[in-house]
This record gives sequence, structure tokens and C-alpha cells, in this order.
Amino acid sequence: MWKYILKRLALLLFTLFLVITVTFFLMQIMPGTPFNNPKLTPEALAQLKTTYGLDLPLWQQYWNYLVGALHGDFGTSFQYQNQSVSMLIGQRLPVSAQLGAQALVVGVIAGLIMGAASARNKNNKIDGTLGIVSTLGISVPSFILGIVLVYLFGFKWPLFPVSGWGDSFSQSILPTIALAVSPAAVTTRFVRSEMIEALSSDYVQLAKAKGLSPKEIVNKHAYRNSMIPVLTLIGPMAAGLLTGSTLIEQIFSIPGIGQQFVLSIPSKDFPVIMGTTVVYAAMLMVMILITDILTAIIDPRVRLQ
Amino acid sequence: MSNPILKVENLHVNFNTYAGTVQAIRDVSFDLNQGETLAIVGESGSGKSVTTKTLMGLNAKNALIPDNSRLIFKDRNLLDLTESDWQSVRGNEIAMIFQDPMTSLDPTMKIGMQIAEPLIKHRNMKKEDALKRALELMKGVGIPDSEEHINDYPHQWSGGMRQRAVVAIALAADPEILIADEPTTALDVTIQAQILNLMKTLQKDTGSSIIFITHDLGVVAGMANRVAVMYAGKIVEYGTVDEIFFNPQHPYTWGLLNSMPTTDTQQGGLQAIPGTPPDLLEPPKGDAFASRNAYALAIDSKEEPPFFRVSDTHYAATWLLDERAPKVTPPVKIQKRWAHWREMQEQESQA
Ligand SMILES: Nc1ncnc2c1ncn2[C@@H]1O[C@H](COP(=O)(O)OP(=O)(O)O)[C@@H](O)[C@H]1O
Ligand SMILES: [Mg+2]
Repeated sequence: MWKYILKRLALLLFTLFLVITVTFFLMQIMPGTPFNNPKLTPEALAQLKTTYGLDLPLWQQYWNYLVGALHGDFGTSFQYQNQSVSMLIGQRLPVSAQLGAQALVVGVIAGLIMGAASARNKNNKIDGTLGIVSTLGISVPSFILGIVLVYLFGFKWPLFPVSGWGDSFSQSILPTIALAVSPAAVTTRFVRSEMIEALSSDYVQLAKAKGLSPKEIVNKHAYRNSMIPVLTLIGPMAAGLLTGSTLIEQIFSIPGIGQQFVLSIPSKDFPVIMGTTVVYAAMLMVMILITDILTAIIDPRVRLQ
Repeated sequence: MSNPILKVENLHVNFNTYAGTVQAIRDVSFDLNQGETLAIVGESGSGKSVTTKTLMGLNAKNALIPDNSRLIFKDRNLLDLTESDWQSVRGNEIAMIFQDPMTSLDPTMKIGMQIAEPLIKHRNMKKEDALKRALELMKGVGIPDSEEHINDYPHQWSGGMRQRAVVAIALAADPEILIADEPTTALDVTIQAQILNLMKTLQKDTGSSIIFITHDLGVVAGMANRVAVMYAGKIVEYGTVDEIFFNPQHPYTWGLLNSMPTTDTQQGGLQAIPGTPPDLLEPPKGDAFASRNAYALAIDSKEEPPFFRVSDTHYAATWLLDERAPKVTPPVKIQKRWAHWREMQEQESQA
């Protein structure tokens, strides 16, 4: 197990290295420079370039960046002078992580409940309603949902605050819901089909033949078997949350890295763009690794080598 | 011997489907005696599994059983039970062994726990006590080094070992009736023999009655006391093993005997009964086997044959037994088999 985890971590680092390399060179071909203020004198421009090390040859810049990244130093922001990228991200990451985690937990739990309810009431009204709801949940993008929520519960019936973060928990409710709907819908559908399959399986037939009640069968046999495949969804769902949160953080004025990311693109704040990309990639890979390890722990058939 | 623990009377099972009503079981009656093994044999689709599922109250949702059908077990009609009554019968008084050991165990639950489950449910045992008993059961069904394997998961075991675990689950709560629906079909021949032997020994110890379902008469001889032959949702002949093997009366039984794989290679190869079973959406008038029957009489397509008595224990539903029918003898091939079986029996009794 530990050997497997170490191996996966090594692979993760290598992938991160590739991500850094690709982003670094992509940044180079991005048009424009961050210093296109026409008032800048050539001397001032040269001065700025030296400060940021942009006058060095490309391979030197790349090398410096890599070495820095290895030490957790992703350079200094162009936009906010004297602010290191690591600090900028470090301040904002916990906010985004909390939002994402809340949305994931709420979404998956809601999905597990609705999916099981759907499967156990296969083809009747409950199942039909949940089917429609989950189809909507999958097809409506989270930012549209965010806007609708802001309108409904911020203005029409002002129940929750619609902007800001950290002053009270209630500020996180609407953005969490907006983000949680899609994972909830995906999980519902997945759990439904897995559960229907489990309920028609031979081992459930045997459980019935043992005299277990329908409730015992679901709780002791069907749930566990239909939850294992759901774990594999968590990686992709987390990816969806990362991209979804960029816009949601904009809508609800949440100071997370998503908002930061969006702001840094028009201002061509290359170090921040790159740093955020690397952090996104790292988070995604860690999520996938965690799901794989969880699957191995929960599913006795998976043996890690 | 004639002390029935279960009486099945006029059982009908229909299934509602989009195409119409499938008449899967059409008036089946039989008794199961205390401590005996009754084999139900018949081709695939003849209604064996539906019969067993009905006995467990586990039929599909589209099943419809008319009110005059009765399953009398311990002075009550099982067909009147509510779902929660059924739960105290299943796995407790009547237990079942399924066909495919590869799929019938829960892949995510430890095998010891799966064996302990019926005990926790029906004997109100605590988990530790139930697991202790599960260990004994594992030893009882011949799992080597049971202590080390009680926490294994199914994927760690071979098919034969898994079927032993399935047998242990069925026996856990000491049921009066054990139903085995083709318990060895999914296993290879040597393992098959082991499982059948295991069931026989266990039956001697527990005194339970067994309903043994198979499409293969070959495994019946060593297992059963009595045999019921099923065709198209009906029992067409029943009797003791000797009566069915050495004095079969129904041409369908002849066909089954003829298609038995045996060690005597005189005829070589399998001889399946020609033709296919009838459509149970619209069962034919008269004898359902008539269209495949080389010995069919004119009346077969008009009127259904009643059961004719051959002996006190042996009945067959074929017009050939009517006194007006021409006398026919079973096919030569079967007569050759009898000679061969008698030889084998003599050799065995000498040995
Ligand atoms: N749920 C169902 N709906 C419709 N027809 C069914 C259903 N279950 C079984 N049948 C039909 O009942 C007949 C008997 O099936 P079965 O008892 O499984 O045969 P077997 O003797 O091979 O075990 C078959 O024709 C089968 O198609
Ligand atoms: Mg069957």
C-alpha cells in the first residue's frame, strides 16, 4: 500500500513538472506583455524587466522558475507589487478549498440519498421526478444557477447574503448550493443505476433468500456495492468544481483562487496565472489519488500493487 | 417415508408480460416427505426455477398466483403469508442454494459475516456468537483452515469453495427444507461431485428435506429418493428414482434419459430431444409434448392426459398408459442403458 502511494506521488510530481513546463512555454506565446502602459519610458521598462528577471535568456527563466517552484516560490505578482504568488494563493486557497469541499460533501450526500430513493422507487413518480431534477441539474451550468439563486434568495426573498466570505457561515450557503447541484445530479444518476443493478444481482437474491428485509438488504448489501463505483466519480467532480468555482466566486464576490485566476488573466499577471494553474493541477491529481486510495480501502477486490 | 412436510397443491403461476400472460406453472401438485430428497428434472424453461422461487416467496413482481393454489407447510398456506411473515420463513425454515457461486456472494462482505447473517437475523445471535457458529459451519462444509479464511472476501476463493460457503449460508439456521436450484451447473465435473457428496452427508446429519432441481438426470441417481419430471409448466411423471430410471412411462422421460451423458459410450455423444418446448403464452391443447413425441396418439392433440397410476408411488401423465392405447416399448437405446446400469449396480453391490 505505502509503496503504491509513494509510486503514485512520484508520478504526481512528474506530471506537475510537465504541467509547469507546458504552462511556462504557453505563457511565452501569449500575446501582449503585462507592461504595456504607454507612459512607461524604455528605461523604466528595462528596469521592470530586470526586477522580474525577464531580461534573462528563456532557458534561464525556465530554470529559475522550476527551482523556485521546487521551493514553493512561484515568483512575484506583476499586478500587486511585492506580493509573492505563493502568498496570494496561500491566502485564497483555503477559501476555495472550503467552498469546494462543502459543495462536494453536500452534493455527494444528496446524490446518495436521491439516487437510492430513485432506485428503490424505480419507474414510479418519485423516480420520475428525481430523473427530471437530475437531468436539469446536470444540464444547467452552475453560474446560471448562481445568478438565479442570487435573484431568488438575495432579492426576491432575501434569506441569505449574496456576497462576501468569512463574516458568517450563511454567506457560503448560496454558493455552496450553486456548486453542489451538479455533483448531486451526477451522483444521483450514477447511484440510481448502480443501485438498480445491485438490487437485481444474485447476491441480493441470496440476501432475500436469507430472510433479510428490504431495508437490511439495501443497507447491508446494496449500498456498499453501489457506492464503490461512485468513488471513482469524485475526481472528475472535483475537477468540475474547480472550474465551476471560478465563476461562482466572481458572482458571489468570494476571495478565492478562482476569482484571483479570473482577475489575473486580463491583467496578464503571468506568475499568478501559472501559479494558479499549477495549484489547480496539483489539487486535481491529489483528489484522484485520494479517491483511488479510498476505493482500495473500501473495495476488497482492488489490490494495490 | 410418507410424512409430507410440504404439500404443493394445484400450483399455477402466471406472469403478466407485454406479449400476454405466460403460464409458467400449470397445475403442479407434489408432496415433499420428511428427510427425503426430491429431484425436479426437466429441460430449461420447464418451470423448475419458478417453482422454487414460489416456494421462497421470491417470484418476480409480475407473477400472479390464483387463489386456489396452495403451498401447505406446517399447517399454513405459504401463499397467504405477508412479506414480513415470509422473512421469518426464508433462510430459516426454508433455505435455498443458488446456481452460480461466482455471483451469489456479496463481493464486499467478508464470507464469515455472510454465513453469520442468517443466524443474527433468525436466531437473534450476537455478532461474535454468530461468527463462532459460522466458523463451525465453514468447517462443516469442508473449508480447509477455516480460521484463517473467515475474514476472506469472495474473490479470494475458487468457485467450488464459494459454493461450499453458499451451502453453509443455507444451512446456517438449520432449515427444514433446503432448495437447491441447479447447485452444481456452474461448476466443473469433479467439483460438482464434491458438492453433491457434501449435500448428501449434511442431509444425513441434519435430517432436512431437499428439493433438488436439475436439468441433468445424470446427477439425480446418486442424490434423490424420488423424481418429478417437469415439462412446459407441468409435472408429467413422478416416482422413485428406480421407477423413473428403470420403468419410465412418459416419452418425455425417455427423451431425458436418452439425452443423459453417461460413461457408457455405446451410442456416443448427447442426444437432445428434437424440437423445442411450446410457447407458454399459448400452451397447446392436449398433451404439450405431443408435437415432439414420436409416439404421439391422435388424442394427444385433443385432450390432456390425466395421471395414470403405475404403482403407489409412480404416476405418469401420458395417453400411452390408457388401456385403449397401443402397447409401445421404450426405445432400444434406453433398453441398452438399463442393461448397462444393472451391470454397474451389480458391480457396486459386489464391491
Ligand atoms: N418474470 C417472468 N416474466 C415472464 N416470464 C417468466 C418470468 N420468469 C420466468 N418466466 C418464464 O417461465 C418459464 C419457466 O422458467 P424457469 O422456471 O426459469 O425455467 P427453468 O426450468 O429453466 O428453471 C419460462 O418460459 C420463462 O420464460
Ligand atoms: Mg432454472
